[in-house]
Order: sequence, then structure tokens, then C-alpha cells
Amino acid sequence: MPEILINGQKFEAEAGQTVLEAARAAGIFVPTFCWHPQLSTAGNCRMCLVEVEGRGLDIACNMPVSAGMRVLTDSPEVRAHRRAILQFITLNHPVDCGICDKAGECSLQDYHYAYNGEASISAEPKVRSTKYYNLSSRILLDNERCILCLRCTRFTHEISKSMALGVESRGDVSVIRPVADRPLGDDPYSDNIVDLCPVGALQSRQFLHKTRVWYLEPTPSVCPGCARGCSVNIWHRKPEWHVKTLDPAQNQSIARVTPLENPAVNGPWICNKGRDLARIFERRRATEPMLQGSPVALETALERARELIGAARHPLALVSNWGSNEELDAFQRSLGAVFTAYVKSDSVPQPGERLEDELLIRADKNPNSAAARALYADAPARLPEGTDLVLVWGEGCDFGALPRGARLIFLNAYLAPENGHADVFLPTSVQTERDGHYTNFQGVISGFHACFAKPSGALDAEALFRSLAAPARVHA
Amino acid sequence: MSKQPHVRRRYWNEPSMGWWERAYVFEVGRGLGITGGVFLRNMWKWITGRKGALTTYYPEEKRADYAPANRGKHLLTQRPDGRPQCVACNMCATVCPAQCIEIDAAFDPDDASHPKYPARFEIDYSRCVFCGLCVEACPEDAIRMAPETPDLPGFDRDRMWVGRDELLSWNPQRDVAKPYPVARDAGPPR
Ligand code: SF4
Ligand code: SF4
Ligand code: SF4
Ligand code: SF4
Repeated sequence: MPEILINGQKFEAEAGQTVLEAARAAGIFVPTFCWHPQLSTAGNCRMCLVEVEGRGLDIACNMPVSAGMRVLTDSPEVRAHRRAILQFITLNHPVDCGICDKAGECSLQDYHYAYNGEASISAEPKVRSTKYYNLSSRILLDNERCILCLRCTRFTHEISKSMALGVESRGDVSVIRPVADRPLGDDPYSDNIVDLCPVGALQSRQFLHKTRVWYLEPTPSVCPGCARGCSVNIWHRKPEWHVKTLDPAQNQSIARVTPLENPAVNGPWICNKGRDLARIFERRRATEPMLQGSPVALETALERARELIGAARHPLALVSNWGSNEELDAFQRSLGAVFTAYVKSDSVPQPGERLEDELLIRADKNPNSAAARALYADAPARLPEGTDLVLVWGEGCDFGALPRGARLIFLNAYLAPENGHADVFLPTSVQTERDGHYTNFQGVISGFHACFAKPSGALDAEALFRSLAAPARVHA
Repeated sequence: MSKQPHVRRRYWNEPSMGWWERAYVFEVGRGLGITGGVFLRNMWKWITGRKGALTTYYPEEKRADYAPANRGKHLLTQRPDGRPQCVACNMCATVCPAQCIEIDAAFDPDDASHPKYPARFEIDYSRCVFCGLCVEACPEDAIRMAPETPDLPGFDRDRMWVGRDELLSWNPQRDVAKPYPVARDAGPPR
């Protein structure tokens, strides 16, 4: 273990580490643009320059440690060069932070205030370039803002392997461009480059000018898109920034989804499906309990459901694999002895969706199959004849295949024509409205938290199961 | 933390009372005389329509002598073509201590020099404290405050929001000092 000195302090570095890694491990921050722990070292931004006594300035990201090295990360020399590098990087940067969605979480902004603070000293007019280049239906590229760190191209070469991006031309006219026959739109991981971009050159169309990032706060959650169960941050408006006269739906909606780094599951990445959780959770919601299509009070619906359960001789339940561990547990404890239960797959792959790959995406498009299958078997193709009551929990049920003549209790969160056909229909909450855990296909348990209040009328399945087993008041 | 007893501060012009003031009733009578005199003089001038009355009947009547730098109603400045100068950057809304500005941004890729603009721009005058910080914060000189006060007395707080089109048009001001370069190679997304 080579011992090195950083800013006069002794640290044990690991053999093979770079100076940058050793410094970060020791808690000393060295600014970087192009370096990323998961990508190869490019060393093109020069922002991580440090001084090695006796050897002069060099980039820390590409310098292996050697015993007795004396590194200075904040000497006057280093500071002067950082200022110069920032001047160079902003030579042609438009500094249009006011209309840039990255502003507030932009490395260039942060480093400018931390290490430069001076307006451009260049007297030359800035080189203008393409302001909005359509990289895909999801991503816009602003070539003026791009600082050519090549994180995006390295991501498509090394992580997503779509090889979709490259650099065209040279010097101050070089631009990031898609490779002709490899559309970025076919890369199911493409949106990661928006987070990776240290500046606002890559912009998500979904998020374009939607809001400013400092109005938002993240809630840790789990992507329900497949059995991987990636950890994500769901961003929504901070309560103190709730709008009062603009569309109030803004206060209750997902502004964007970003990866939440979790080495055990997804590392720092997620796929594009995880970015589109609003498409899943912001469908129109069912909020009224119904008996055969006519809205009734909750108590009436529960009473009728208990009656049906009490009268049934062969009750069968199709359990949701979108239910959290807590909900599955509540079902098992309250109703497990009454029902013969099977696991139902709520969601199946959509046409055009990538089925499976080595990076993250799994063929099972449900988040909690592992926990559900630990309790119950998969539903057989033909449900047993003689069943006189079916409880269906969640979406994805083939109602035509249910045993003929059986009564139906249906729990669903969204508006659907089938809601009205059930003998008893009970509206449930969705993942963004409650706390819970999912177990992914590897057995890793990750937790999610409530971001929003439940719409009035919707209920947590956990409470519903308990009150179906024993009459007790449930609160909406 | 030991709590210090509050000591009242003494001022250089601290009033002192002699026997005349201590007699109370004469000085109180004099005070009422001053108030009453001003009231009657003002009333007389107002009834007879003379100049110099101190009272105006707001909002029908307005004082003409606001200081030129008075911070009254906001106006959104216009570009030479009449569209808002504002780029919907939300600096004003962020700095506003009353949090009474709300902006919905929109995107117009065809307007290469001004691609982000406010689709909605709302100010709640029931909460604005007329501090002028929004004007200070704006990087585009897109919001200014005119000396005139907003004409908004009302009985309903929710009706005191004023929107983009009114802020743009009630007293239009152009900011032609800023030339808008058209970006080379810029245009709608391809
Ligand atoms: S990339 Fe960063 S510095 Fe550049 S305009 Fe956007 S926020 Fe400003
Ligand atoms: S688009 Fe962003 S990530 Fe890609 S090279 Fe430019 S600055 Fe780097
Ligand atoms: S004047 Fe002050 S309180 Fe009123 S809108 Fe501007 S910043 Fe807000
Ligand atoms: S008025 Fe000025 S500060 Fe406010 S959003 Fe518009 S440009 Fe930004």
C-alpha cells in the first residue's frame, strides 16, 4: 500500500489507484467534468489538474499513485490553472443558464462559482452552433453548451453498447452527432446521458422547460418496470413551491425520474422505462367503490365483499405481483387461510419493448414477482372449475378466463371497463402514494416512499385486506 | 443563558413634563384642537372642491404625486415585435419573498434567439409586498415596476392574480437596447 501525501497529509492509497481516486477516497474533492467512476478515463477536460511536487502539474484522473508522492490539490499554481481551464471551457459556452434546465445542478456553474468567478476575458465573439439538434424523440442536443467531455459517447460505447454517438469535425467546430445507422432512439438506456452530461447540452424532452430543478425534491423509490427493481429518485415539487394559480396537477405529478445509485442493484443507471413512470402512475384513477357498476359507500362495498367471502365454498385469489412485501404479507395473514391464492402477472412486455439484456432489463416486467412467488404458485392457465368466488388484485387479469358463474371482487387503482363488471369493486392506491418494499429477482429488498397523497376514495390494499378479514373501520 | 432585564433606551429628545402638562386637561384639549382643526380644514376643502385636500377617494381618484421611483404595479417589457422579453427563467419567482410569482414556461424552437418564453406569468397582488426584488433579480430587464399602484381593491383574494397579457399590455414598454442575434445554424429541431 503506497503511502502518499495530499496537501501535506499522509494517506494510505491502494496500489493501482489513481491520484483522483485516492484523493476522493480520502475525502478531498478534486473537480472533474469528463471523469466518471463507471466510464473509461478520457482525460480531456483537464479540470482535475493537481500539482505533484517536483513533477509539476498533471491530471489526477490518469495519474497512478506511487509511494511518497506529494500531491497538492489547492496550490496557487493549481488554482491559477483551474481558472484558466474554466476560461477556456467557457470560451464558446453561451452561458444561457436562464433557459437551461441543468442550471442549479450544473458542474460548470458550480465550478465557476467555486474556482473562477470571473466573467469571460475573451474579446472574441463566441462560436455559434446548432442550438437544438434532435438526437432522438427523447433527447435534444445543444451544441453550444457542449464542452466535449465525451461522457455521452463513452456511455454509448462502454455501458449501453449502442455506439450511437460520436464526434464530428475538429477544433471549435467539433460537435457530438449520432452515428448514421445506429439511432439513439433504439438505445433503451439513452436518457442516462442526460444525467451524465456535466452541463446542459443534453436535455430531456420530457423535462424540457417543465420547471426549475430547485423547485423539486427527490423521494427514493423503486422502479416497478421490471424484476430488476432499480433504485430511483422520483422528483416532485417541494411543498413550499406548490403552485397556487397554475394547474394544481403540477403539485401532484412526477416531474422526472433519475437513478438513485445502488451498487447492489442498478449502479448509477436506469433504463428509459424507469424515466416514464408518470405514464404508469398518472393514468386516470378509480376512486369510487362500486357494486356491479353503481357507486356505493365504502362500508357497503366492504360489507358485501365480506358476505361473498363468507358464502363462498371455493374462493380463489389472483394476487398482484405489483403488491409490496407489506401488502403481500397483509394478504397472507388476513385472507391467506380463506383463499386459494395464485400469483398473477400484472404487466406483460409491450410490443417493441426490449425483453432482456445483460445490463439491467429483465424479461419479467413486474417488480415483486420474487416475493409473490415465495408465497404462492403462478396462476395455472385454466383456473380450477367449481370456483365460486374470485378476488382479483391489480391489473393484467384475463377476465374471460375466469371460471364461469364465479362472483368477482376486484381491486384496481385505475379506471377500467372491467371495474364496473365486478360484483364488488374497491379502488386502491398506487406505489407513489404509500411506503413499502419490493424484492427483486436477486432477492435484494429495496424500499420506496410516498411522494403524494392518495386521491380521496382510494385505499391502501393492506388496510382493505385487513378489513375484509374482520369488520373494522378503514380510512380512506 | 442568563436573561437580562430589559433596560429602556433613553433618547436625547426624551420629553419631560412640567406642572402645566401634569395638569393634563389643558394639553389634552389643545391636542384635540389640532386634530379637529386639520380635520375640519381638510373636510371644508374637500366639500367645496378646493385644492389641497389631503384625502383622495381611492380607487376612483388617484394621487398624481407618486415619486417616479415608487414601486407600484409590475409590467413585463416587450421585445421590438411585442412579444415578452421574459425568458421564463424563474429568477424573479425564486427570489420573491412572498412567493407570489408563478410562471409556466413554453418552448418555441422556431424562435432561435428566444426559445423559452412564459406561456403564463401570474403575480398575486394579495401577497406582493412591493419590495422590487423581482426587478433586481431579472437578468433580462423583462420585469419592471411602474409608479402607479395596481388597481385591484376587491373582496376576493383569489381574484388578485394578474396574468401575463395584462402585465404586458397595460403600459407597454419596449426594451430595444438589447439586440437579438440570430444564431447561425440554429433553427427548429431536425
Ligand atoms: S450547462 Fe450549466 S453553465 Fe451552461 S447554460 Fe446550462 S446551467 Fe448554465
Ligand atoms: S453533450 Fe454533454 S456529455 Fe456529451 S460531450 Fe457534450 S458536454 Fe459532454
Ligand atoms: S415586488 Fe417583491 S413581493 Fe412583489 S412580486 Fe416582486 S419580489 Fe415578489
Ligand atoms: S421576468 Fe425576468 S427574472 Fe422573471 S422569469 Fe422573466 S426573465 Fe426571468
